[in-house]
Amino acid sequence: MDGSWRLWAHGFVRVRLIGESDNAQAVLREAAAAGMPLYRVRAEPDEGLTFVLSAPDFLRLRRILRRHRCRVRIVTKGGFPFLRKRIVRRKALILSALLFVAALAAASSLVWEVRIEPSEHISKEEIRAAAAAEGVRRFQWIARLDEPQDLARRIAARLPDAAWVGVDRHGTMITIKVVEARKPDPRPLENPRDLVAKTDAVITRIVAENGRPVVRRHERVRKGDVLISGVIGTDERRQAVVAKGEVRGLVWHEYEIVSPLVRKAKTYTGNRKDRLWLVIGNRALRLTGYGGEPFAKSDIRSEYAPWRLLRWELPLGTLRERELEVAFEEVRVTVAEAKEAGLARAREELLAKAGEDARILHEKILHEEAGNGKVKVKVLFEVDQPIAEERPIVWPSA
Amino acid sequence: MPHVGRKLRKWTAHLLDLPGDVTLGLPRVTLIGRMWLLVENHAGVLHFSSRRLTLSTSHGVLEIDGRNLVIRMIGAAEVIVEGEIDGFRFHGGAFQDSP
Repeated sequence: MDGSWRLWAHGFVRVRLIGESDNAQAVLREAAAAGMPLYRVRAEPDEGLTFVLSAPDFLRLRRILRRHRCRVRIVTKGGFPFLRKRIVRRKALILSALLFVAALAAASSLVWEVRIEPSEHISKEEIRAAAAAEGVRRFQWIARLDEPQDLARRIAARLPDAAWVGVDRHGTMITIKVVEARKPDPRPLENPRDLVAKTDAVITRIVAENGRPVVRRHERVRKGDVLISGVIGTDERRQAVVAKGEVRGLVWHEYEIVSPLVRKAKTYTGNRKDRLWLVIGNRALRLTGYGGEPFAKSDIRSEYAPWRLLRWELPLGTLRERELEVAFEEVRVTVAEAKEAGLARAREELLAKAGEDARILHEKILHEEAGNGKVKVKVLFEVDQPIAEERPIVWPSA
Repeated sequence: MPHVGRKLRKWTAHLLDLPGDVTLGLPRVTLIGRMWLLVENHAGVLHFSSRRLTLSTSHGVLEIDGRNLVIRMIGAAEVIVEGEIDGFRFHGGAFQDSP
């Protein structure tokens, strides 16, 4: 209503009218009539008038003043034109202020830190290099960077071992997070090879995964014979490959077992004696259980329990000792039992040697003899077991 | 001729049912509380002090009394007075010089 923004835009002055009272009233009258709005007209106690008017109007007011022989004194000036004049006068200050704002704006539109969250197999330098190649590095303009999703995608394309890359910009800091792809364990390197027979056998099963099977089922092989050949092709197309496959065969193992007819066993009689010791440092004081050692043969089991104070272990404690009487018993076994025990041991031994998946098909007792407190047995096992063994191909002689 | 023009305007105002301040330049006084007084269609300031503002209008002299009066804004046709306003009155229909 009072047009304060227009006053400010055109500039305004607050003036004090000096002159005779009647003349001052006339100036007020004429100024308003001439279309010069006056603002905040105040009658001072000494009959003077102060008012505010716009700077262009102030220049026009001069004529009216002259006619009525009045003078004005400017009290204050304000508004945009005066402000501009002041700004121009303090050029350096304003310029430096602008420079400061510009520097602040520039500094905050730079990337100041690229933080890389550590990952296990991909080194930070590798990630940093990949990011730098896509423009994500220190002192880069933020405006020149693409959307984080695009950046993440392109950085991921540069890191073959990364399953996922996350780029997150927070102010002037960029965080790169890399999730590694889980890779299968590298396969061991293998040289071209043949599979040959470990022992003499009759083939029961042959499956070639890689290579050329040379023998067939029911065929008899000798130790060192080629079962699956790693040499494939003929003439100039010949090449050596890694032979792979499963070959099983019947193998005969002959065992000579000696099994005793008397078995010694250790038993506890049930008699016992307890002793309690007080341990101080590395010395022990017996508290109970005096009376010597009552048993001829015995096992002693002892348990030391140190005393504790809160969480510290004291150099004091009790030692509990329990002495158990032992008796050795001799058990006579029959020939059949001794033979069976020996065979069982032989079977275990055989399976341990031939492999987990070996199967005993037949066992034949060739010879049996009892005497001198033991049983002697000669036994032949027929075992179905894997017989393949690797043998490298020495090119080109193979 | 102004006489004829005025009659014509009065007739139009009557015909169109328009308020007089719009067509005839009648003074319009708006008092807001006791603090602000707005006078439209005034014809000039005759006198102003902190206790009294005298305005000339087409229908006589308007006197506004009060204390600590300040003219917030004065233009060619309107005046806004601010202060503790006690009252205002008109002096007849005749022009007068400042009292």
